[in-house]
Amino acid sequence: MFQNRAEALALALPAALFAAAVFIAPVVILLSDGFRAPGGGWTISAYTEFFSSSLNQAVFLRTLKLGALVTIVAAVIGYAAAFAIVSLEPGKKGKVTGLIVLPLMISPVARTYAWIVILGRTGIVNQAFQALGLSEAPLRILFSETAIFIGLLQLFLPLMIISLISALENMPKDAIPAARVLGANWFQVFWKVILPLTKEGVVIGGTLVFTGCLTAYITPAILGGSKVLMLETLLYQQVTVSNNFVAASVIALILIVMSFAANILLKRVATARNKTRSA
Amino acid sequence: MMARNLFIPITLGLVIAFLIGPFLIIVAASFSGGETLAFPPQGFSLRWIAKVFTVESFRDSFFMSLFLAVGGTLVALILGIPASYALSRYKLPGAETIRTIVSAPIIVPGIIVGLSLLRYIVVPFQVGITLALFLAHTALILPYAVRVVSASLGNLRSDIEEAAVLLGSSRLGAFFRVVLPNIRGGIMSAFILGFVTSFNQVPVSLFLSGPGVRTLPVDMIAYMEIVFDPSVAALSALLAFMSIGIVFLAERFLGFSRYV
Repeated sequence: MFQNRAEALALALPAALFAAAVFIAPVVILLSDGFRAPGGGWTISAYTEFFSSSLNQAVFLRTLKLGALVTIVAAVIGYAAAFAIVSLEPGKKGKVTGLIVLPLMISPVARTYAWIVILGRTGIVNQAFQALGLSEAPLRILFSETAIFIGLLQLFLPLMIISLISALENMPKDAIPAARVLGANWFQVFWKVILPLTKEGVVIGGTLVFTGCLTAYITPAILGGSKVLMLETLLYQQVTVSNNFVAASVIALILIVMSFAANILLKRVATARNKTRSA
Repeated sequence: MMARNLFIPITLGLVIAFLIGPFLIIVAASFSGGETLAFPPQGFSLRWIAKVFTVESFRDSFFMSLFLAVGGTLVALILGIPASYALSRYKLPGAETIRTIVSAPIIVPGIIVGLSLLRYIVVPFQVGITLALFLAHTALILPYAVRVVSASLGNLRSDIEEAAVLLGSSRLGAFFRVVLPNIRGGIMSAFILGFVTSFNQVPVSLFLSGPGVRTLPVDMIAYMEIVFDPSVAALSALLAFMSIGIVFLAERFLGFSRYV
């Protein structure tokens, strides 16, 4: 450890000042817009107004609902996938993990675009349904909550699987056989042994997936269209269509509060674990 | 036991099909001979892949994205390396505050970063769109640069540079001759992570577009709203192979995943 303070500040300040000027100052001013009263002074009327509109309420609840649903489904699939990967032999494990991580490197535009080909009116799903005689006319899957759900799940599932792989690998190897020997069935093994021992991994993965869903723009924009909005696409519409910057500021604060809350939860779980470790 | 043996391949097969399948469909669709985007592709041709290179806006926005990704990452590293060094090697008052400020852009949704830059930097200070995009992408990459370089500094024992100083090297000389060569892998990994993040970034750039100034992914979204031909599929496939190639080479030569 070096002691020279002036030297340390000279090294660290350019980055901090840059982030403060380019990022923190403009964002703080933008957020304060939502509290400015027209005649001067401060008010929360923009917030009560925002939540009094049934459209906005629906968008808010849809964002929460899709975020929660994607997170839960990702956790269920994630456990199955991570469990399967962990039980592979080492060489295969690396290759399969690589395949799971691969989509994260591909542009979200490309990944979302693929679902148009799959879910569209003449897409693969509709072709299959009609060939099997399950439906007469093409189903309307695009521009719905279902389409957004599928797109978000595909986008963020890898983050959950990776978090769970490392959690399962850190679990004591004999915990599961021990529980089996003592007579627990697979459901009890999961609920009483695996889940408590991997709680931290599922919380980290869940936070990443949930904040990812909140802040995703491309997926709801392409797969939800202009009618099925989420908070991000509503914000974009408020600015570009209605020129309503106050509403945009309100939505921005809601999004930031929600993702900060998720991040604080993540930090608390992480520190709780360090305490138990050092104890 | 039979059930268990089937569980692993079936689960992994389904999950990988769900994650990779759509990408393979995009690749297949880009070789289509038909006029509209469809799968299975109608006939085989390379015309849509060829068309990607002739669309002028794609070419302009590709170079814009390339410029932002390379330039933004370089500036983020020039700011981020000294900051990471100060945070890991010095007793610094307010170190936590500085770390929070520098990594804040990762927590705030990109669309808000873009909008606030437009409203409170571009409009009041008459800053050009290109410069604004550059600032936004740099701010966005900075947290990744600091995180990856800090991790790599953390793996390097600090007594070797103290030894260099004791042996008569200046602090600066010790940094350039002892520290920098040892964290080269971390810096390259930070560069690649920053490049890929910036290149694929959409929400930050959404509000920061002007006449003829657009990043490639934003341009692709605009194009697909008007034209529904396979050229966006072809471009998506090409870009995906580019990203995968970069990350593959990075993993091969740098052990990229150690740092990320």
